[in-house]
Amino acid sequence: MRVPMSWLREYVTVDAPAEEIARRLAICALDEVERVREVGVLDVDDNLGRFLVGKVLAVERHPSADRLRVCQVDVGEGDARQIVCGAWNFEAGATVAVALPGALLPVLEAPLDERELRGQRSRGMILAEDEVGLGEDHAGIMVLPDSLEPGTPLDQVLPIREEVLDVTPTPNRVDLLSMVGLAREVAALFDGELHVPEADDPELVDAEPVDVTVEDFEGCPRYVGRVFRDVAIGPSPQWLRSRLYLAELRSISNVVDVTNYVMHVWGNPLHAFDLTRLSGGRIVVRRARPGEELRTLDGTLRRLHPDDLMITDGDRSVALAGIMGGEESEVSDETGEVLLEAANFEPVGIFKSSERLGLRTAGSNRWEKGVDPYLAEQAAVHASRMIVDLAGARMTGHVDVHSGLPERPVVRHRPERTDHVVGFPIDPGEQCSILEGFGFEVAPNWDVSVPTWRARDVTREIDVIEEVVRTVLDRVPFTMPLRRHVKGHLTKEQRLRRLVEDVLVGAGLSEAYTWSLAPSDPHRDAIRLPDPMTADQAVLRTTLLPGLVEAVRTGLDAGFDDVSLFEIARIYLPSGEPLPDERWRVGAIVHDGYDVMKGVLETLYAALHLELRVRRSSHPSLHPGKAAETDAGWLGELHPTLLEGVWGAFELDLETLFSQVPERIVYEDVITYPAARQDIAVAVDEDVEVGALVDAAREAAGPILREARVFDVYRGEQVGAGKKSVAIHLAFQSSERTLTDEEAAELRGKIVAALAERFGAEPRA
Amino acid sequence: MDPETLEKDALAAVAAASSLDDIDRVRVEFLGRKSALKLALREVRDRETGMTLNALRERLETAIDARENDLRRVELDRQVSEERVDVTMPGTPFPRGHLHLITQIRREVEDIFLGLGYTVVDGREVETTHYNFDGLNFPQGHPTRSPLHTLFLDQQTVLRTETSPSQIRTMEAQEPPVYIVSLGRCYRRDTPDATHTPTFHQVEGLAVDEGISLADLEGTLDYLLKTLFGEERRTQFTTNYFPFTEPSIEARVSCHICDGSGCPVCRHSGWIEVGGAGMVDPNLFEFVGYDPERYTGFAFGWGLERIAVLRHGIPDLRELWRNDPRLLRQF
Ligand SMILES: [Zn+2]
Repeated sequence: MRVPMSWLREYVTVDAPAEEIARRLAICALDEVERVREVGVLDVDDNLGRFLVGKVLAVERHPSADRLRVCQVDVGEGDARQIVCGAWNFEAGATVAVALPGALLPVLEAPLDERELRGQRSRGMILAEDEVGLGEDHAGIMVLPDSLEPGTPLDQVLPIREEVLDVTPTPNRVDLLSMVGLAREVAALFDGELHVPEADDPELVDAEPVDVTVEDFEGCPRYVGRVFRDVAIGPSPQWLRSRLYLAELRSISNVVDVTNYVMHVWGNPLHAFDLTRLSGGRIVVRRARPGEELRTLDGTLRRLHPDDLMITDGDRSVALAGIMGGEESEVSDETGEVLLEAANFEPVGIFKSSERLGLRTAGSNRWEKGVDPYLAEQAAVHASRMIVDLAGARMTGHVDVHSGLPERPVVRHRPERTDHVVGFPIDPGEQCSILEGFGFEVAPNWDVSVPTWRARDVTREIDVIEEVVRTVLDRVPFTMPLRRHVKGHLTKEQRLRRLVEDVLVGAGLSEAYTWSLAPSDPHRDAIRLPDPMTADQAVLRTTLLPGLVEAVRTGLDAGFDDVSLFEIARIYLPSGEPLPDERWRVGAIVHDGYDVMKGVLETLYAALHLELRVRRSSHPSLHPGKAAETDAGWLGELHPTLLEGVWGAFELDLETLFSQVPERIVYEDVITYPAARQDIAVAVDEDVEVGALVDAAREAAGPILREARVFDVYRGEQVGAGKKSVAIHLAFQSSERTLTDEEAAELRGKIVAALAERFGAEPRA
Repeated sequence: MDPETLEKDALAAVAAASSLDDIDRVRVEFLGRKSALKLALREVRDRETGMTLNALRERLETAIDARENDLRRVELDRQVSEERVDVTMPGTPFPRGHLHLITQIRREVEDIFLGLGYTVVDGREVETTHYNFDGLNFPQGHPTRSPLHTLFLDQQTVLRTETSPSQIRTMEAQEPPVYIVSLGRCYRRDTPDATHTPTFHQVEGLAVDEGISLADLEGTLDYLLKTLFGEERRTQFTTNYFPFTEPSIEARVSCHICDGSGCPVCRHSGWIEVGGAGMVDPNLFEFVGYDPERYTGFAFGWGLERIAVLRHGIPDLRELWRNDPRLLRQF
């Protein structure tokens, strides 16, 4: 909401400059306060003194320019000034705004100078609103009230020099979406004097009944309806146009401007209907009928939902309650009779309707936060006064329909509880005066009565405490919790996840982050969002692979053909329960095929004190001849159709993987009695897997075989067609004694025999 | 053979040897199988002569070894004095991977709180509306409850919109004191742009104990912010509103660009908003069965991406999900 400071200062007297008010509001009251914006004419070198009220004494056509006129203007100097002017919306006798030569105007690069215009001297300028930052209209000059004395400084009449705050209250503080609410807050925070605007309610003239029926008090707890006749629709006076412009509200016509102005003052949105367009001649507030439609005043035909609250004229809907009026019943230049609505609407319904219709307005923005129902009356009175004054109308009818207004909450407060929550003592007297400043009433027994405009938000002691705390926020000291129990460590799984990350980074892989939501998923029952944002993010993934493939492709497109990536993230398996089984996975794609990937995986397993044992397997994303599985997942070479180039990949379930990691490593003596190392080479058929040879060797020798590692596979004439020679490094070691050469030879013999028996392996020299 | 003459000749030959070949020849001549000394030793019959000759042999061996070592050293010095590399040549490339920036920040935040004696909780990402909204005191009709802002799986199930549901689950599972942080992915129906991605990361902190105060919260966040952004930073706390905390505050840190004097980055306020926090609303305690009179607590929930933006100047959050190697390798 935009807050012109001159307007705010009309309601609160404080010495503090705008910057200081903005700063304190940002800390103690509001969600956000933008930088104070300075608009209008510059306040330098007595520039403001060059803007004066003038009285046009005479107007003549310019002798040599059809579109110009020559004016004699009294600006309180005694002699009149001659000013050449291009506007035609005034005649002699008009009171106008004048800039004298030397004035700096926001629309001019250089100071205004005295000059000849087609041979006629012009000693100043009669101002249009856009020339001093008070509007956008350039069709004519500003015409001011005739009661103003010529020579009056213009800045006493119009906010030609203005500071504007842009404030965003938190959603619980709809009371601060109003000038009065902000003035009250500023008065309390700066110990200033509050002047709430007080309008005299116009007398009813030729009183007539106003027929308002509320069928749904839940949606509309209060409806004040007032009727005005002999309404003269026209432009608003310059002061009103200027205020609305500075508040970023559009000036439309006097009656419509009054509704917006009063909303800005009080925070209670209003609506004006053209009474003659209400065919039923009355107001009925009800929910929309099935299939009902309304053309709102933005010209859109809206299909309504039976939950939408409607203002109807008894026959058909004329407004979406609280959100937007209907086009047909809109106040227009021809309007002569007006029904003013100052109502109160329930927040949740307004929010849902405005969201469903995608229609957010200044009105819905307030209603959806819960406006004080007591405000309707003050707003109605203020608006009525202005309609009567500005549009020359007679007020002929008034009705106030409600189902009983809510009581003010009373909360028992313990000042010492504030100290307990905030962590330092705040004098009870200070607490009391803070609360009273915000409009709370504090009884001697600390029963705190909440003002009506805070009744939704402050209902408990903790809410009262917050009122005190926010006021003293910049005095809160920084302390640390006094701890009696401390338990600061990672779980085993968290620790191991970090280890996996570190090992893979050390192995040259970079960590990728890919989306949990995928366009599709290989799992038949993968969980789909019923209403995804985009087709790309429609399914909760059950595998990390597609995201990683996409990430590698990004690297390839950027010209990197050696990308190796991993990701540790959750996947979401359908579980048959309401919530899916969320499991941590590690997935990786490694540049250059199976061998490199397997090396990475072996390093990872070794770091976890695990042995990587794989079985041949198959996987739809993998090369059929280069696919394997472990207890925790799969590994292999990506199928060539997935990515150009040769890529190894794996994906493992971390819980399964970590469940095998030993809790602790117990010392084993591997130093005192050195290992006996032997190499063997055997020739076997090509299709015998080396893993099977190693397994058989381990089985034959038992745990004394500490290490069995294939270090060479040779194929060639010497071995024979269809055969390969496999060289295995063996290390025998006991932690109790040094093995003799004879023992080592015997173990080796057992292994060779076993390999011969199981695989027909022939020992080679 | 006269041992004295032999020794004199041998030591002279050792001294004269000027290369490893020379010293090899000296060794063969005086200590070889056919040397006079070896032949004499073979002939020895009495103990005394034997001792004398063996002592001589040891002295010669020592002298020859010493000379050989010296000559080797000279040879090595000559050799290394000739070997040179261009020390400015690049080394052999060794693959180096990179942790994602968000992981680095996640660990840093975890470590800060581990140091303060907190534990790390891995919360669920798919949550019931009960834990994501009701238990967190979101009123009916709160915008976040709308399918326009939250990704629903069905009427009762959502992708969590903040890490806060883990607060409720933790408090349900244990009695106070509670000191936890919970970090992970959250989801909102935000159209991706420079400052929004529909998936993002939050860190949630929760401390519940007897006597926890707003001052404790501000002290803890001040410590966290200064650790993350630098000791020279100033912090400020402003009022705010969240359904699950009362009072609610927002933490700000002095602008890293202008140090508080005002610039476009901080929108001329001198301060940068980091995230929300507050005292745990007593309704949450009632929800999990804690005594709200006895216990107080604080909670905060911040975006890790926000820290990445503020500290590392990431201009567009979508970049963090693109996995372009040029970006990954920067951090
Ligand atoms: Zn700055």
